[in-house]
Amino acid sequence: MQLSIEGVSKAFPGVQALDKVSFELRPGEIQALMGENGAGKSTLIKIITGLYRPDDGRVMIDGQEMSFQSPRDAIAAGIGAVHQERNLIPRFSVGENILLERLPTRNGLLDKDAIHNEARRYLDLLDRGIDTHTEVRSLSVAQMQIVEIAKALSLETKCLLMDEPTASITEHETEALFTLLKRLRDEGASIVFVSHKLEEVFAIADRVTVLRDGKNAALGEPMSTMTRQNLISLMVGREEHIVNKPQRSVDTGVVLEARGLQTSFGHRDISFSLKRGEILGLYGLVGAGRSELARAIVGAAPITGGEVLVNGKTADIRNVHQALNQFRIGYISEDRKNEGLILTHTIRENIAVTIWRRLAGALGLIRPSAELDAVMPYVERLEIRTPSVEQKVGNLSGGNQQKVSVAKWLAANVEILIIDEPTVGIDIKTKAYLHELIHEIAAGGTSVLLISSDMPEMVALADRILVMHDMRLVGEVANDRRYETVSNAIMNRIHAVEEERSTATAG
Amino acid sequence: MNSLLRRFLMVEWSGILAAIILGSALLAWLSPAFLTEFNIYVMLRSFCVALLVGFAQMVTLAVGQMNISVGALGGLVAVLAGGMMEKLGVPMILAIPAAIAIGALCGLLNGVLTERTGINGFIITLATASAFTGINLGITQSIPFYNMPPGLVAFGSDRFFAFPYLMIAPIIATILLGLFLSRTVPGRHLLAVGGNPHAAELSGISRGRITILAHTLSGTLAACAAILAVAQLGSAQPTIGSDWLLLSFAAPIIGGAALTGGHVSVLGTTLAVILIALIENGMVLAKVDPYWVQFVLGALILAAVWLNRWRAVKTGTD
Repeated sequence: MQLSIEGVSKAFPGVQALDKVSFELRPGEIQALMGENGAGKSTLIKIITGLYRPDDGRVMIDGQEMSFQSPRDAIAAGIGAVHQERNLIPRFSVGENILLERLPTRNGLLDKDAIHNEARRYLDLLDRGIDTHTEVRSLSVAQMQIVEIAKALSLETKCLLMDEPTASITEHETEALFTLLKRLRDEGASIVFVSHKLEEVFAIADRVTVLRDGKNAALGEPMSTMTRQNLISLMVGREEHIVNKPQRSVDTGVVLEARGLQTSFGHRDISFSLKRGEILGLYGLVGAGRSELARAIVGAAPITGGEVLVNGKTADIRNVHQALNQFRIGYISEDRKNEGLILTHTIRENIAVTIWRRLAGALGLIRPSAELDAVMPYVERLEIRTPSVEQKVGNLSGGNQQKVSVAKWLAANVEILIIDEPTVGIDIKTKAYLHELIHEIAAGGTSVLLISSDMPEMVALADRILVMHDMRLVGEVANDRRYETVSNAIMNRIHAVEEERSTATAG
Repeated sequence: MNSLLRRFLMVEWSGILAAIILGSALLAWLSPAFLTEFNIYVMLRSFCVALLVGFAQMVTLAVGQMNISVGALGGLVAVLAGGMMEKLGVPMILAIPAAIAIGALCGLLNGVLTERTGINGFIITLATASAFTGINLGITQSIPFYNMPPGLVAFGSDRFFAFPYLMIAPIIATILLGLFLSRTVPGRHLLAVGGNPHAAELSGISRGRITILAHTLSGTLAACAAILAVAQLGSAQPTIGSDWLLLSFAAPIIGGAALTGGHVSVLGTTLAVILIALIENGMVLAKVDPYWVQFVLGALILAAVWLNRWRAVKTGTD
């Protein structure tokens, strides 16, 4: 199958996810689709598979323009996909999940034997250890991924899109998958392979397309002409509009220190220190364990070993209430809709939620005027655009919502602020504004632990950058604000660890 | 005019108020008995227990929970209060606070069980409802306590023109609850947890403690309703509370509460109870079979929820 995408664009409120992106897939090839988090890979996959409709541009199959209204249409046209999100039904058996769209029947009833025999055929290509009668919810994450892949294979489509299929499976299963994909390719199938792991891409892909900030950075380049270094720089790119803040070296007392932290998420040996007024970056790919670490520090998840020190004293932080009121630590969640804000409540209520205790006066009553006086300066300072503070937060734009969730913690006047992905899905202007604000916060003496997958953001903001990979800190990079050297240093650190690990397991 | 109507529609209890005004006008026109002092007194008196019952459910809805045991808890408190006064000779001044405290404890139990076990509050209170009713029937063997202190009975039936003294309690409760939810820290925290438990917790609010607080408050309000019911009936009936469940949900929901939590209206709930009292009264005046009152109440809930949805869509406040 010949699949061509021509000048496809897709916008979401506040972000241009894809901007005139092209992509071309030939019969009998495996093409890698690469890019950083948020570069637009998943959006492109979702357009090809009919989950999203493009705002502009064309999707062509064998020279014919297609207009998919739903994933069903895409499957009918011969496109199968493994998405990043799980699409399995937990209480159905493995077999039923694999054949979900076309369960075999006999006399109008489900034919259990046929289901399991049929499913078995596809599952055996990857893993003989999974029983097709097991309910999916009792499988491990890796096994679910295998089932997901088997489900896509069972469609026997001429075109297969795989969005990070190896993110959670073992080395052994990855090998089986690769052997299988190569065989399918040799039989004439077209395969798109999305992965963050360079080794895998070099091992399996024939050509590569790179996306950066929703645009093509490379279009179908042969892998044979690529080195890992130029692949990294294609993904990371050159940053044109870096905030030109001079490099700072913060030389103040340590306010937050972690010593050999362990958590139930699997973090091991996490040690770092954050100084007063410093912006300490914490970089890692999705799934590296950064947000989880932040949660453990503020007491929202258990710490199982090691210790946290605040201002030099051991701090046993058991909940966020304590983190806020006793240790003056705040955490701005990356998921502002689900964890940051109360969308059905007003701007006033959302900002004041951290300070009601302080505002309560005689008889424990909060004076409305005092509340307004406490909230207004932040609404003005952060330029939250709204007719009134009585507006429900759910009615604001993404950028303004993010400003509200930052305002809440500025109002709380914390000493240590953990900011998790502050600018995801936010327009460029607000993003620049938030960057300026984070500099200001730090200059005012607040210590900031900045979690971000956005490399330019990291380089523009952080004083030092910790690199996290697979629940461990794997290095620290000094930030001299030179984008290319810093980003290469970070990516090399991550890929070096990957490599050490694969040689260790191979040996 | 159009913008005036729009402004009126923006207020969430606007529909209920309109229904009350229209309904009253209609009843006054149809029935000469409606506007008599005695009829108004009867209506106001029936309003008292219902309002506290509505509030008892409203506080659990506020935090995103439900209390299926409001009626059972009320029944238990009523017979315990009656039993203490009649069989043990405890003076009213001690028995009533003690009974309300027991109600609060039952609510606390609901809250602690919900919080500690992690089981949905709906299931927990469904179970405790059965348990409370069991204790109630075990103590009374279904026989009411008839000998209530004259002071209590007088409080339940005396009036100042059309104003029943009984109404003092719900008026105080309305004011306190309104202040609690809008102006105190725990009240605000309660709504925040109901609005988004994750965000509230990450903002330093203890979700567990607030959930327990909401259930305790619910128990206390249901207990107050039970005492008023004893005063109103003049006896401690084991059946008190058995018909509260539907009403307890109807009042706050008609009043604009979000079933998902985080949003309730004290004023809306109050108006909803007035509307329900008005409808019940109208059906009595029209000599409608009392069994059909249930039906009308059900239809009313559907209509109110639908109207609210329509209003939210129209005014863009959804």
